[in-house]
Amino acid sequence: MRRALIGAGLLAMWAGASALAQDPGARRVAGEGKQIYQRANCVGCHKWHGDGGGGYGGDALSLRKSELTRDQIIEVLRCGRPGTGMPYHLRGAYDGDECYGLTREAVGKDMPIEGKTFLRPSEIEAVTDYVIASLQHRGEPSYTDCEAFFGAGARTCNVYKTAAATPSGGTE
Amino acid sequence: MSAFMPSLRKVMLGCTVLAGLSASPVLAADVTPERLLNASQEPANWLTHHGSYSAQRFSTLSQINRDTVKGLKVAFTMALGGIEPGGIWSHGGLEGTPIAMDGFLYVTDGWGSVYKIDVAHGALAWKMDPKTDRDWAGAVACCGVNNRGVALWGNMVVSHTLDGRLIATNRDTGEIAWQRAVADPDKGETVTGAPLVVKNLAITGVGGGEYGIRGWLAATDLTTQKEVWRTYTIPTKGEPGSESWSGNAGAAANGGGPTWVTGSYDPATNMLVWGTGNPGPDWDSAHRPGDNLYTDSALGLDLETGKIKWHFQHTPNDPYDYDSTSENVLVDAQVNGRPTRLALHANRNGFGYAVDRTSGEFIWGTPFVKKVTWTAGLNAETGKPAEYDPALPVQKYNAAVTPSRTNRVSDICPGNMGGKNWQPTAYNPGLQRWYIPVIESCNRITVEETKPGSWKAREFFTGGGPSQHERITGSITAVDVTTGKVTGKAETQFPQLGGLLATPDLVFASQPSGEVTAYDAKSLDKLWEFKTGGGVSAPPMTFSVDGKQYVAILVGLGGAWDKWFIESTPELKKVQTGSTLYVFAL
Repeated sequence: MRRALIGAGLLAMWAGASALAQDPGARRVAGEGKQIYQRANCVGCHKWHGDGGGGYGGDALSLRKSELTRDQIIEVLRCGRPGTGMPYHLRGAYDGDECYGLTREAVGKDMPIEGKTFLRPSEIEAVTDYVIASLQHRGEPSYTDCEAFFGAGARTCNVYKTAAATPSGGTE
Repeated sequence: MSAFMPSLRKVMLGCTVLAGLSASPVLAADVTPERLLNASQEPANWLTHHGSYSAQRFSTLSQINRDTVKGLKVAFTMALGGIEPGGIWSHGGLEGTPIAMDGFLYVTDGWGSVYKIDVAHGALAWKMDPKTDRDWAGAVACCGVNNRGVALWGNMVVSHTLDGRLIATNRDTGEIAWQRAVADPDKGETVTGAPLVVKNLAITGVGGGEYGIRGWLAATDLTTQKEVWRTYTIPTKGEPGSESWSGNAGAAANGGGPTWVTGSYDPATNMLVWGTGNPGPDWDSAHRPGDNLYTDSALGLDLETGKIKWHFQHTPNDPYDYDSTSENVLVDAQVNGRPTRLALHANRNGFGYAVDRTSGEFIWGTPFVKKVTWTAGLNAETGKPAEYDPALPVQKYNAAVTPSRTNRVSDICPGNMGGKNWQPTAYNPGLQRWYIPVIESCNRITVEETKPGSWKAREFFTGGGPSQHERITGSITAVDVTTGKVTGKAETQFPQLGGLLATPDLVFASQPSGEVTAYDAKSLDKLWEFKTGGGVSAPPMTFSVDGKQYVAILVGLGGAWDKWFIESTPELKKVQTGSTLYVFAL
């Protein structure tokens, strides 16, 4: 029985690996895109689940509820959003007028902040595809979503195990 | 006594072994409750977080003084760790106060690793890495990857981790002896403060006021490793104070009132004096009608039972995030000719307060910032804000600037970081001067209405958020505790994010741009400065080894500032992440 289960597990892994091997796009979304989402500190405001939310940093857009198109997400990643906390990630974004037709001088005090990491165009596409495939229109974050991000058994995901977590003071 | 038997036995065994080698060893003595109680009588050591239970952060050491401080130089530095990212944080930082005993320093990094350092040799004796679950805890830390230091007890080093553990580490070996979970990040709880050890109890405070926790203080008996009491700062329905939470939203269950800064202890009354944080959601005060006890308060609690004996609330029904978590400094002084046992507290709301620490009775209050807009001042009798009306379910204060559902965007002074934040004050008993590390600030608050039932575990629960529309600076402000009047102010380019140390002649401070500075205690003239090249967000302390005085400070910008408030201090954007201990001597 144990051997059979292990076999099934291996089969599932092989099937997964095979799918990724056959579909470079899927591999990019699952691996590189998520890795960039973490490395470029998207998690810092939009959180791992992309739902953003208010707090000390103000209100980060919910990527889960966003209706932005692929091209629009790419543009925001490249250029940031003037007048908000969303940084730009394209090196030299406002040196010319390729961002919203605005130069650094024209955008003035609404100049977006500079991202902690600059991203190459291919990296911006990879993280955009990750947002579209794994976050956008995905409803409320689930335990499965959380384990897919942090790995199986992560304590960060505990609160998604039960439908309603108990408020801190609810039992005392 | 039995509490110290195991370690005593070890010491005795050690003596036997070493005696056999005909050495004459100096074995580190156990840290007894009596030593902790009389910590200020051992000026060579810095045995507790605030230097003594009174939280004065004053040392009588005077080798480094007004005349000699010009010759202060780096004795050694040590690179530490703990800068890894986790949760919503891109790096950790340093906010801890080193503990010094018998020639060794005990310091922590933001993720809770403890380092024991041999001062004479500038060498690392051991490091204890608690393997903090960084994503679990870092996702619910509102304000940085922080750990403010350790406590000593017996032969143990007692520390906290951001993911809510209390850990006892063998002081000789660096091995973890035992640990227990005290706080639960699944509920949005974290622990950033140093434990306060009194008698055999380790007191733990909790963070999470921005995540809708219900705040508490917990006491762990170090001899049994079991919790002996836990006092919630928000009363259960029917308990005194519960009537201060009205409305139908069930707000008390997620009402905040955290306790994340180490408190003080008054042996004369056997009471802890501890500050509590803001009510939640921070800025939507209409969600939680009433005064919201015991948020934004100084509490006097019985050490043995945790029972709240008195309280003084600074900002009832707080709509500003003006919490009261920072320390209460216990000082005996003549006020208006009357001997008084004071608890001093510098609040985020811009006012310094003195209350009677035996009863919570208001003595005096004074603004210590340059600009206060939210109130016209304090009522001279009660200490409450002048506009406070106990009949109002939702306080208006100066309604023109107060964040509310009808005033959705407003500029407040001080800004929500204060005033003065967790960074500790210092007190000079000879001069009767109290020094406050000030954030001279205004910022902009945007209110969002909180829908009943909208609280989610591990998500921000703030009812809006702050933004920075203008530059924020700082100062070190001195107050005469006998009159409650400001006597001096040394302005600084950046806000005070590190905290202070007082010696007979001097006040030591820092800047987030990297400077460590000594000021004249009387004139507040700058006498000495050293540029560390890193960012400082930790308090200085002093100690001596073999008759030589040292000043130590952790360097590595941490906390909330570089993520949430950096736009008000744009020059600090270039400060690099770092993690270093600096030790100075003549």
